[in-house]
Amino acid sequence: MPVCTRLVRPMSEPPAIEVRGLGRTFRRARTSWHRPGSAVSAVREVDLTVAAGERFGVVGESGSGKSTLLRMICGLDQPTYGSVQVRGRAVAGQSWRALQWLRGEVGVVFQDPMGSLDPRMRVGEAIAEPLLAQRIGDRSSREDRVRELLVAVGLPPEAARRYPHQFSGGQRQRISIARALAPSPSILVADEPVSALDVSVRAQVLNLLNDVVSRRGLTLVFVSHDLLVVRQVCDRVAVMRRGELVEVGDTARVFADPQHEYTRELLASVPTLPPLR
Amino acid sequence: MSGEVAAPVLEVEGLDVATGSTALLSQVSFSIDAGERVGLIGESGSGKSLTALAVMGLLADGVYVRGHVRLHGGPENLLEHSARQWAAVRGEEMSMVFQEPMTALNPTMRVGAQVAEVIRLHRGVSRAEGLRRADDVLEQVGLEAAQTSRAYPHQLSGGQRQRVVVAIALACDPRLLICDEPSTALDVTVQARVLDEIVSGVASRQAALLFITHDLAVVAQVCERVLVMYGGRIVEAGPVREVFAEPRHHYTAGLLAASDLSAVEPGAALPTIEGTVPAAGQLPTGCVFRTRCPAADEACEDQPPWTARAPGSAPSEAFGYACMHPAGETDE
Repeated sequence: MPVCTRLVRPMSEPPAIEVRGLGRTFRRARTSWHRPGSAVSAVREVDLTVAAGERFGVVGESGSGKSTLLRMICGLDQPTYGSVQVRGRAVAGQSWRALQWLRGEVGVVFQDPMGSLDPRMRVGEAIAEPLLAQRIGDRSSREDRVRELLVAVGLPPEAARRYPHQFSGGQRQRISIARALAPSPSILVADEPVSALDVSVRAQVLNLLNDVVSRRGLTLVFVSHDLLVVRQVCDRVAVMRRGELVEVGDTARVFADPQHEYTRELLASVPTLPPLR
Repeated sequence: MSGEVAAPVLEVEGLDVATGSTALLSQVSFSIDAGERVGLIGESGSGKSLTALAVMGLLADGVYVRGHVRLHGGPENLLEHSARQWAAVRGEEMSMVFQEPMTALNPTMRVGAQVAEVIRLHRGVSRAEGLRRADDVLEQVGLEAAQTSRAYPHQLSGGQRQRVVVAIALACDPRLLICDEPSTALDVTVQARVLDEIVSGVASRQAALLFITHDLAVVAQVCERVLVMYGGRIVEAGPVREVFAEPRHHYTAGLLAASDLSAVEPGAALPTIEGTVPAAGQLPTGCVFRTRCPAADEACEDQPPWTARAPGSAPSEAFGYACMHPAGETDE
């Protein structure tokens, strides 16, 4: 039994995320009058369980189905088959309206903060919007919450009055994190949150993510194509290729002793700094 | 070693770039020899791409440039070229690979024709001959010409597209290739292959390579020499091995520490550089890095002189740093 220093919830609690036999098929645009477009299986037969308090990584190349899987977990896309449960409640097959509770349970941080923040909305409004949508608090309590969140992600409270374009990429990603945390979710989902950032800023944002996840006892689902980043952040990792999970295991084990051919290929391709000093 | 010293392929001297009263680049000087692979690193906003654009003569209107850019020791200053003169140099003597292949390629033109275009423009060959030579170049970068030549860019994957851009850049055997973040948009496995194509393409032509990236691991893999840029100035330069093993400028040291994820225990806090790159025009006087530097004091309010790495030797632009309190001396 490995020593676990992180928060472990009692066994009776359902896993944070449970995915069973999940698949999603897209249709290509039709190229003929007579036949429908061909089908693409973006995700096929995926099973995975993320325990509460766990930091779970998903790695794979573009087109491997990472983001599609993530979107289905967050209820942003409906699976073709299979089931998704978040904290024991069904997500797959539910109407948009019936998933209200999920929006308060799962916070999402996307890759490109400029694309995920409305350029015409002040930062304060953007962060308060999830609260407004959930009808949490009144105006003044929401304003307090925005200030508190900005400070928590390392920005001055005055930032609330400014617009996204007035911030650098790293600061915008901090704003996205603040917005994801606004309704006090128990699960934080991050889709390539540092891929668009410089190395120095990447370290700052990763530290911040690590910090908020451990301080708030969140479950983290972290999607990235960068294996070194995943190793730094996650306890357990799933390697995805062509819609399938080819390997799932403890991060340290997967990196030290990859079982699948594809995982080995991925690891060999990562450029590394020569040993210094 | 031959007796006569060959002139460097690219010589940049005292390059200043500014808009209005805002300085964007200050006194950028470096040179690259034939067959040499030089990396240019720094955070976004540090002036890397601007340097490449200035060298390629691609700066926007309203951006003023001063200094000298010379190709293989020639007498003329490229910066004084007319648009027509530039057009003869670009694609022939030097060419560039951009970050995003989908925007660098013409979406309405078949890939083979795009490679042939640059050959026909500079070599004056017929359409058929251009396409034939284009196929050769496509094969050289690891694409199957029979299948890709007649494809449109949207039918190719990201890695294939970037190879096409590399093929266009190498089609006329340039003496200088500039790559601006060529692999940032690619997956790791694809990135490894595209970087191989770039390095072998440059090596087989004995061309000089200026390789811009923010990924230090990629620089370590591709380049022999490195220039570190911050706030529109080169703050440190030298062989990759020495600079990475023993950074003298605190900015280089900070970048290295933040990049080296394998040096930190999983889950532990990563070292960072405090703050962010100041916007152009808001850089401090003196040392550009002093507002974020852990070792800064009053002495840094003056512009630090360029110091040779090896004590006692003459200061060389290729082998030195600009710092009052070099890292590695004050720490111990």
